Amino acid sequence: MTMLGYQNKVLRINLSDKTSSTEPLRMDFAEKYVGSKGLVIRYMYEDLKPGIDPLGPDNKLYLTTGPLTGTPVACSGKLSIAAKSPATGTMNDCSVGGHVGIRLKYAGYDMAVLEGKLDEPGYVVIDNDEISFHSAEGLWGLGSHAAEKKLVDEYGLEYSVLSIGPAGENLNIMSCINCDYYRQAGRGGIGAVMGSKNVKAILIRGTGGVKVHDIEKTTDRLIEILRNDVVNDDNQFIFDGGTTAFLEACNDGGILPVKNFSDTTDERWTEYNGDVLAKYREGKRGCGSCGLGCGNFLKIGDAICEGPEYETISVAGPNAGNRDPEKIVKFNEVCDDMGLDTISAGDTIIWAMEMTERGDHDFGIRFGEADKMIEYVKLIAKNEGVGADLALGTKKAAEKFGGLDIAMQVKGLEYPQYEPRGSWGMALSYAVSDRGACHMRSYAANAEVFEASIDPYTAEGKGQLVYDLGEFNAIKFSLCICDFWGTIDYAIMAELLTMVTGKEWTEEDMSRVGRNVINIARAFNQREGFNRTHDTVPKRVVRDALSNGPAAGQVMTQEDFESMLDQYYEVLGWNKDGTMPEELIQSLL
Amino acid sequence: MKITIALKGTLRKLFDCYDDIVVEVPDNCTCDEALQAAGINYKETRNFGFVSVNNKRVMIDSRLNDGDYLKAFSRVSGG
Repeated sequence: MTMLGYQNKVLRINLSDKTSSTEPLRMDFAEKYVGSKGLVIRYMYEDLKPGIDPLGPDNKLYLTTGPLTGTPVACSGKLSIAAKSPATGTMNDCSVGGHVGIRLKYAGYDMAVLEGKLDEPGYVVIDNDEISFHSAEGLWGLGSHAAEKKLVDEYGLEYSVLSIGPAGENLNIMSCINCDYYRQAGRGGIGAVMGSKNVKAILIRGTGGVKVHDIEKTTDRLIEILRNDVVNDDNQFIFDGGTTAFLEACNDGGILPVKNFSDTTDERWTEYNGDVLAKYREGKRGCGSCGLGCGNFLKIGDAICEGPEYETISVAGPNAGNRDPEKIVKFNEVCDDMGLDTISAGDTIIWAMEMTERGDHDFGIRFGEADKMIEYVKLIAKNEGVGADLALGTKKAAEKFGGLDIAMQVKGLEYPQYEPRGSWGMALSYAVSDRGACHMRSYAANAEVFEASIDPYTAEGKGQLVYDLGEFNAIKFSLCICDFWGTIDYAIMAELLTMVTGKEWTEEDMSRVGRNVINIARAFNQREGFNRTHDTVPKRVVRDALSNGPAAGQVMTQEDFESMLDQYYEVLGWNKDGTMPEELIQSLL
Repeated sequence: MKITIALKGTLRKLFDCYDDIVVEVPDNCTCDEALQAAGINYKETRNFGFVSVNNKRVMIDSRLNDGDYLKAFSRVSGG
């Protein structure tokens, strides 16, 4: 059946022969997976043969919107960028803000798929129904910011630009894709997939619109929802300071990691907290259709960035033994320009710091050496000197140099900045996340710490908790709704989807789709050979007790962790070994 | 005994309390009792998250000592 809200069109761009074609959107996929995250994973399951090289021409780069994208629904303007990950070998979908998702939709497409490989470095322009290919001469080798500026100067502000930096060009498995200068599809080496296709940038302009089922009713109701449920006191913190608000909550909550997750809490956190950073704020920004405006432009000395987000403050701050906010902002700026994920690049450098301090291997950098940390970012992006070793990421570098026990990663994706010994559910969340250690899949810290609604230091109940939160985010992100709309619930999601598509959706449908999305991602990974043995926790977490903060002395054992895994698999009806029954997989197709 | 209370995030706006306040509370009272005594009826809002004492997260029924620094956090979401 046809549903409104969709453009009912998929654009396939063949880079090898510089052609393009369109095909109808698989509405049977949309019925089961709605859009964005879920939809693209289903397409990847269909399109990508098992075992392909993530950096080979058989991998594809997917840009995917949802049915709400481009409508007046608040916070719905994001874009999913997905591919098989060169960092983990799993599926990988990243969510990016800015205006690019809306422009792709207005160009007339639910999804654009880049296939094959350009014969030489170039960029692609999607201008409504005109697709063109151009040489990247003068762009290749530039930082992401300079490349985007050059393209915007030439094409104008009506175009959104997705670009990679030197890290993506050099096929770095921690490389990201930048968008609208300061937004990133950050994780899993998605930038390297673009680089492997010789694509420096993708420009998108769309001048069309999106048809919704009942425009009058939809508009009135959306204004009501915007006033009552989006721009309200519950979500106000995100406008006030963005994720910098997390710093104090994480510190007092005992989940702010210190010195490569060797401990938690920093008694001097006020030196670089949100109040300090706010003094340097030069402006605010939100994505297209945003009602919250989380973006903060900061300038400290010659360091400038949009952010830094909590993750970056933590990894370049206390987790690196640094308390200088200017250095944190500079680290953020250089990572963005080089096209590196701040979490993975940061975690890899702080792992090297501890390796040096422990005497395991001298990487020439120690905790507190913030200037050197920034220089190492450039070396990693350019694959030069010690940077070539660290460009491997924590998992592969640890396999080469030792120190796997303190390599904070799952499946080759580095840990976000929530110490799991202070929030046991996060250990499970990282372990079972579909793309390796990710905090966006199931944010257990919210229930365990920020709401204090469940004991954080027990395995009991964590399988159900991580599933419930994961199901919720799976449908939320398949609707392309921003994570920061924290008060949205299944009832509102179903109402929005019904108003836009004209098809009746219920709260039960939201739950069903969320479960489908978790399962299809697992099915993709299972086909690539993943099972329970890959759902892991770093040794340090189940070996060493913390000495600081409210979680001091708490010990999570390997048995506790295995118990949480058992619970999680049981909730989903998976086998003990983490695989899925064949009939479950068939029901997803 | 005297303790200091600080509200964080949007609790500041909700209870019109932007600065630290020093309050007299009964000896050995809980965080819950101290907040209520200070007129901060946090149970009225869904925005309340958790409390910490001297920068360490505790449960709402934890008991306080003279001179403690009690913080009440609003909820945060997203990552």
